[in-house]
Amino acid sequence: MAQCVQSVQEFIQDSFVPMVAVLCSEHAEQVTRKNNLNFSELLRPFCRLTSEGHMRDPNNQVQVVKNLRISVNNVVTRPSVPTSGVHGPAQRRLLSEVVSACQPAEGGVANVIPAGDYDLNISATTPWFEAYRESFLQSMPASDHEFLNHYLACLLVVSSSEAVPVEQFLKLSQEQHRIQHNGEYTNPKWFIPNTLKYYVLLHDMSQGDEQRADSVYEDMKQRYGSQGCYLLKINSRTAAAGTDEQIPDPWSQYLNKSSLQISVNCLDNTHPLQLETAIDTPGSLDSLRAVAAETKTTTVYTGMVAGTSHGACLTLNDHDRLRLFIQEFTFRGLLPHIEKNIRQLNDQLVSRKGLSRSLFSATKKWFGGGKVPEKSIAELKNTSGLLYPPEAPELQIRKMADLCFLVQHYELAYSCYHTAKKDFLSDQAMLYAAGALEMAAVSAFLQGGAPRPYPAHYMDTAIQTYRDVCKNKVLAERCALFSAEVLKSQAKYSDAATLLIKMTCEDSDLCSALLLEQAAHCFINMRNPMVRKFAFHMILAGHRFSKAGQKRHALRCYCQAMQVYKGKGWSLAEDHINFTIGRQSFTLRQPENAVSAFRHILTNDSQQTSTQQGAFLREYLYVYRNVQGVCEVALPQLPLPCINSSATRVYFGHERRLAEGEKQAATHVSLDQEFDRDLAAVWQDLEEQVVATANRGVVPSTFYPTQCCLNSQTDNLRFPLAVVEEPIIVEVAFRNPLKVPLVLSDLSLLWKFTLKDFSQPQPQDVMVGDAFTISNEKEARLKLLPRQTGQLNILGLVYNLASTPTGDSTINSPSALEGTWVRGRQDLKIQGPRLNQTKEEKTSVSHGPDRRLDPTITPPMPLLEVLTHHCPLPLTQK
Amino acid sequence: MAVCIAVIAKENYPLYIRSVPIQNELKFHYTVHTSLDVVEEKISAVGKAMADQRELYLGLLYPTEDYKVYGYVTNSKVKFVIVVDSSNTSLRDNEIRSMFRKLHNSFTDVMCNPFYNPGDTIQSKAFDSMVTAMMVQAS
Repeated sequence: MAQCVQSVQEFIQDSFVPMVAVLCSEHAEQVTRKNNLNFSELLRPFCRLTSEGHMRDPNNQVQVVKNLRISVNNVVTRPSVPTSGVHGPAQRRLLSEVVSACQPAEGGVANVIPAGDYDLNISATTPWFEAYRESFLQSMPASDHEFLNHYLACLLVVSSSEAVPVEQFLKLSQEQHRIQHNGEYTNPKWFIPNTLKYYVLLHDMSQGDEQRADSVYEDMKQRYGSQGCYLLKINSRTAAAGTDEQIPDPWSQYLNKSSLQISVNCLDNTHPLQLETAIDTPGSLDSLRAVAAETKTTTVYTGMVAGTSHGACLTLNDHDRLRLFIQEFTFRGLLPHIEKNIRQLNDQLVSRKGLSRSLFSATKKWFGGGKVPEKSIAELKNTSGLLYPPEAPELQIRKMADLCFLVQHYELAYSCYHTAKKDFLSDQAMLYAAGALEMAAVSAFLQGGAPRPYPAHYMDTAIQTYRDVCKNKVLAERCALFSAEVLKSQAKYSDAATLLIKMTCEDSDLCSALLLEQAAHCFINMRNPMVRKFAFHMILAGHRFSKAGQKRHALRCYCQAMQVYKGKGWSLAEDHINFTIGRQSFTLRQPENAVSAFRHILTNDSQQTSTQQGAFLREYLYVYRNVQGVCEVALPQLPLPCINSSATRVYFGHERRLAEGEKQAATHVSLDQEFDRDLAAVWQDLEEQVVATANRGVVPSTFYPTQCCLNSQTDNLRFPLAVVEEPIIVEVAFRNPLKVPLVLSDLSLLWKFTLKDFSQPQPQDVMVGDAFTISNEKEARLKLLPRQTGQLNILGLVYNLASTPTGDSTINSPSALEGTWVRGRQDLKIQGPRLNQTKEEKTSVSHGPDRRLDPTITPPMPLLEVLTHHCPLPLTQK
Repeated sequence: MAVCIAVIAKENYPLYIRSVPIQNELKFHYTVHTSLDVVEEKISAVGKAMADQRELYLGLLYPTEDYKVYGYVTNSKVKFVIVVDSSNTSLRDNEIRSMFRKLHNSFTDVMCNPFYNPGDTIQSKAFDSMVTAMMVQAS
């Protein structure tokens, strides 16, 4: 797995925290509402305790509780979400929003991980996975087979500005009692019948009467004991005071997440109004109404509540007071309560252990066959479900174990879980057994001191039981997440990877995608990194991401996998990845990436079948068209077809006229001839002799033989001469590397012209207009007619590229071009011959210039044409 | 009867891959590429053991749900990978070994060809026909 922000211990500890409920009176809500927060939100940033607590376990040894976090929530008695073992659609939406909101930063932190022959540029952290995990764990419904999510205590909050606070307290207390014991609500779940009630008197400093508040507080202390109540003073800052000091706003990070969550939960809730009419007590009704109204407004927002400021009425002193309040509550109220309960349960168990066990085993012995099969049949019927009533003795062990776990007594927790597991297994209560196994493994891992070896088989059995027997995928996934994290911290990456891959399934795409990505990271973090497995699983993850609709994550996965496959010769795989990257980039509006990805597919010597290549080509052309439509004034460079630049031939002059009747034209040099070096040498000799004769026997030093047809074998070091009004014909050689034919149309040359003297209109070019297909190799001839003197540079070609429609290889109908076609260019750059004259040139690779395509246009010169008439044959024969 | 046969060079690029059902070719490419990880692990694990005939055969690399992948490495670090259908349980270990031996012999013949540059893809018809004989007959 990738590195996470939290360490394993922190993560597991943060997943299971003591839960505290809050019931507020109406006035108290108003007080906190001044800060745009309700009471539980107000407390949330301060819920992590910075100091240590001390508790005594049943053996009277002092245990230190470090870094405890508590979770404070409003009492929301919504109808229970069915614990069906899979996420409802609202949950899924929430999770996918969370993941898509968390994208890697552009150009973010990426490490270069050297792995074997590969140097991979991937990011070592995956924050979207952590976001998913967090919201997944938070959204898990509380189940009856475990008590970790059940509320341990309830805060009753009343404002000091009320007429008779004590009465309010009584009302709230009765309310809580009713919610817990009335049996109408299955949510929220309470841990013990005797929930701790903590009375909080909320005093508004800017408004209230402090003396009165103090006196009420004294009264409360008399009534409930000083350990059971607290006077909390907030809102010290009046609204009029300017914002000179920057008060930190720790609430915003919590509120975004919770607003998403509450809005989703509210969507599950069919009729908040119906709930209101059913209850008829003021306090909780108002709080519920407030909660419901708030959620309605947040659903309207659909996003961050960034506009409103939070905690505007609180000074830093208030923050400190809140922190102190939480600390007091936890150390004076919650922890002693837990300690007392642990002790009670322990006593019950010890006393019962002796008795009931012997009784049970005795009855088993005496009543032998009769009783036991009956019981086992009855139990076999619902092994996967909830078997025990809430007060059953077997569950007492589980409760004790959970309490110990919540306050970090891991040794005691482990032994209790172990016992519980044995009991449950012997009773065939599989759901409970799986739960006990899971927690036993986790507490064994978290145990400090002399650590036991992590019992991975417990976790495996638990996962298997959850998945197969109890059919509860959500719980199984939770187990897997924990187990994988633990294995990763112990550097057992291959086990973690196998576990994660086993958990992927067909129905949940997002979950499988995230797990596959984590498995890929496991592979890469091994001691001998399995790079190819990493790449393969990244591809699988990318595929699932795109099925789940997370396009950017999918693109990211594919790009990372591409680094492994690039340039290694596994062309089919590489093409597949490039194709997918191209498609994804295109849908994400990154057309340049799409274009470059497709270009890779098309230019390599692809070994794909012709249908596949045809499909690639069409896709490429389609993407290109859209790119052109969007931006791009200049013509784009197309990669196809390949131009063999050095085979370009240039011919200066008119094409020769063929013979008419008896006249025979001199053959001259023409493009249709093959170049013959010997013959060219003979012509050069002849020309030298002619010039020498014309110059009185001396060849002038500036002489060089005229060349009409330039190709790769002629001497191209000098600028060739072309004459105004005489055409220049350029023959370009194309090669089609694909197996499908390409259709080119509207070819023309691109040129650049610099004038030597300024007079006449520009030269024009003439195009070879008909379309032709290239299957393998072909040459095309294009003509250029200069009309002015100067220097001409032929730069390249521009043309329309199209693919043939499937199954149709004839291109003559114009409708064939109506499909996707793209206008683009390719440059003609000819590399000159390798220089080999001087010593430096011999020892280094340097190329001279090749000036075939840069003719100088000279002023008009006379043009000769020779026609022989009745030429005697022996003259033309050797 | 193999479903896919691949010959991979020392630098881990494919010299020759062929698979019988053409539609799933991409999947086989991926499988073979990924199995290279396991091959490398086994090679490095062997260390400085003597390279005798037994060591060349790497055995079952890993079983997936449909296929089994076998590996074999030569002294010059050229790897052969054979993918076999899992449902075909009649194939025993010895048969796989003999398939690898035949592959190795044909490969040596290809190498001995003076016109063959080591590192090129294998185009030899004799090699092709030998591989075709070993593959599952396309239905």
